[in-house]
Amino acid sequence: MSTEALIQVIASGLLLGLIYALIAVGLSLIFGLMDVVNFAHGEFLMVAMYATFGLWFVTAIDPILLAPVVTALLFVFGALVYLGVVRYAMRAKANIGMVQIFATFGLAILIQGLAQYFFTPDYRSIAGSWLGGKTLNIGGIFLPLPQIYGGVISVIVFGGLYLLMSRTDFGRALEATREDQGAVALVGIDRNRVFALGWGLGAALVGLAGAVLAIFYYIHPQVGGTFALIAYVTVALGGFGSVFGALVAGIIVGLVEAITAIVLPPAMKSVGVYALYLGVVFVRPSGLFGRL
Amino acid sequence: MKMNRRQVLMSGAALTALAPLGRMAFAQAGGEVVIGVIYPMSGSNAQIGVDARHAFETALDLINNDYDLPLPGAKGAGLAGLGGAKIRLIFADHQADPQKGRAEAERLITQDKVAAIVGAFHSSVSNTVSVTTERYAIPYMCADSSSPSLHRRNLKFFFRPAAHDEMFSKAMFDFMDAQKKKGKKIESVGLFHEDTIFGTDSSNVQRKLAEERGYKVVADIKYRANSPSLTSEVQQIKSADPDVLLPSSYTTDAILLVKTMGELGYKPKNIIAQAAGFSEKTVFDTVGNQLIGLISRASFSLDAAAKRPFITTVNDMFNKRAARDLNDNTSRQLMALLILADAIDRAKSVEGEKVREALAATNIPGEKTIMPWKQVKFGADGQNEDADPVLLQYTGDNKFTTIFPEAVAANEPKWPMNA
Repeated sequence: MSTEALIQVIASGLLLGLIYALIAVGLSLIFGLMDVVNFAHGEFLMVAMYATFGLWFVTAIDPILLAPVVTALLFVFGALVYLGVVRYAMRAKANIGMVQIFATFGLAILIQGLAQYFFTPDYRSIAGSWLGGKTLNIGGIFLPLPQIYGGVISVIVFGGLYLLMSRTDFGRALEATREDQGAVALVGIDRNRVFALGWGLGAALVGLAGAVLAIFYYIHPQVGGTFALIAYVTVALGGFGSVFGALVAGIIVGLVEAITAIVLPPAMKSVGVYALYLGVVFVRPSGLFGRL
Repeated sequence: MKMNRRQVLMSGAALTALAPLGRMAFAQAGGEVVIGVIYPMSGSNAQIGVDARHAFETALDLINNDYDLPLPGAKGAGLAGLGGAKIRLIFADHQADPQKGRAEAERLITQDKVAAIVGAFHSSVSNTVSVTTERYAIPYMCADSSSPSLHRRNLKFFFRPAAHDEMFSKAMFDFMDAQKKKGKKIESVGLFHEDTIFGTDSSNVQRKLAEERGYKVVADIKYRANSPSLTSEVQQIKSADPDVLLPSSYTTDAILLVKTMGELGYKPKNIIAQAAGFSEKTVFDTVGNQLIGLISRASFSLDAAAKRPFITTVNDMFNKRAARDLNDNTSRQLMALLILADAIDRAKSVEGEKVREALAATNIPGEKTIMPWKQVKFGADGQNEDADPVLLQYTGDNKFTTIFPEAVAANEPKWPMNA
């Protein structure tokens, strides 16, 4: 393989990695806040993609401009999922972890079923957006504009999250709640409210990822599953709950996947990612940036 | 681990959803023949199942009602051999999972007492389902799974009226040879195939044919089905830049492959596809503008309606239900049920062994089908060797034209696809 082709593969892997990170960070955030793994994370992504498609279809406004709307919608959706489902699942007296897993799992299957029923299993795709199908050619290296846009959004989001977590009251409340759920009540922080906002934020982030992805990926009731597995390994690799870890791990996953596909038969490209993850488990079981 | 849990749960949900169907079947009364239909009704190929359902219901309409068309089963309502008995179909969902397919087949046979099973799109599922039907001695009508290994397992109850991938791939290479004779430059091919039995078998045949006929295989890429990205894979094809790209892909991967080719600025000189995803309307709806000139093998061509006008009638019946034209998959599904009904009619029985004998004695001339086949006549292995495939070229706007074999071609091929 020529150097040019190799650079292409690495560049594509990097861009995709940034998008993986954006997809995964909401999952990591929710886990970090309250130790709940949202098994419906992929379905949140799917809902966001359909929301983008639907809004685009009705209003014919470019998906880039619709992204804030979709993000806001998913924020509400995430908060409602917490208030309507997860809050109750957390009241279990025994096997609380399993109850949460099955509650979010059930939700995932319900959302998938509803999507298939109402949107049909046909594949959708957004035709004629500003960036769709456009590619930047830098000396034979092709960088699709929608993915560059996704990468830029991802970097901005991680910057924003850093500021949010470290500079705002809401961020501090999130951090405090995750440190000690009991103690925050004593200083007047409503735990339920923080959780609901945390779910809203997590869903909003995956919503933004969906709005980005909808520009260049097909939209289908099952599309979440394709990315959810990657999101889980990204979160596990980066460290459960670590926002920065999700960024690093997303990039690593994107790169390792791209490179594995040229070293090994491409059918085995996820092998590289999982081999790396297992390697990390030996050294740092809670992930690269997870708390030990 | 997580994926496994997910799959376990999904199968549970699917079974629960299907439970009422099982109960309905107990109401099976005299004058009714029950046939099981196993397709992907959920999962990433659910649209295949939705379309298949429309195809089977069209066939059912033809069989159960009186139509004056020269198709087996169309004339007269119901099955004359069974006193006008009607056929009832029970649909089951295999979610593209061979194990779920096997379990559903078992359920259809033991609980719903089906007389035969039709399936299954995915070759991997046809594989397990046909082993189950063999064990219970009821016929399996393999409508549209095309792996050549399927009819080579000494199964007595396996029947496939349509072509398998060796026949399809042979047609592709015959076409390439013919183009070469006309002075077109074709030296190398690139294989791009998914990693289940369909892609693996298809590529094995193509690799062998390429070697025998002196085409250089410059890329041989086996990729993981339903990948989030195919960039590295496409980059490898792009670097090799074969004269002809031969993809064997289902719908999701077909869309992603074409999108990624566009993103990486790669225009293959020619594509000859092993149908599957590349005969699906949705692929041409989403990325059709990049596929003008694509050639795909097929079992069916609407062009044939010029000689057999009833094909238009059948297509209209299907289109009314499905809002799309018959394609490679749906035409085979529709025909498979007609052929099965014809056999049950002649068997005058729903007993597995009798239906099997009737199927083995099937002899339907090609003019009585909607396909470009010579005839329907099963060999001892259950394969119809006279199911001649055609090659279609995509001309835009969801339209195809037949370009090969020359005897049935409606137009000259556009070659190369991208100069």
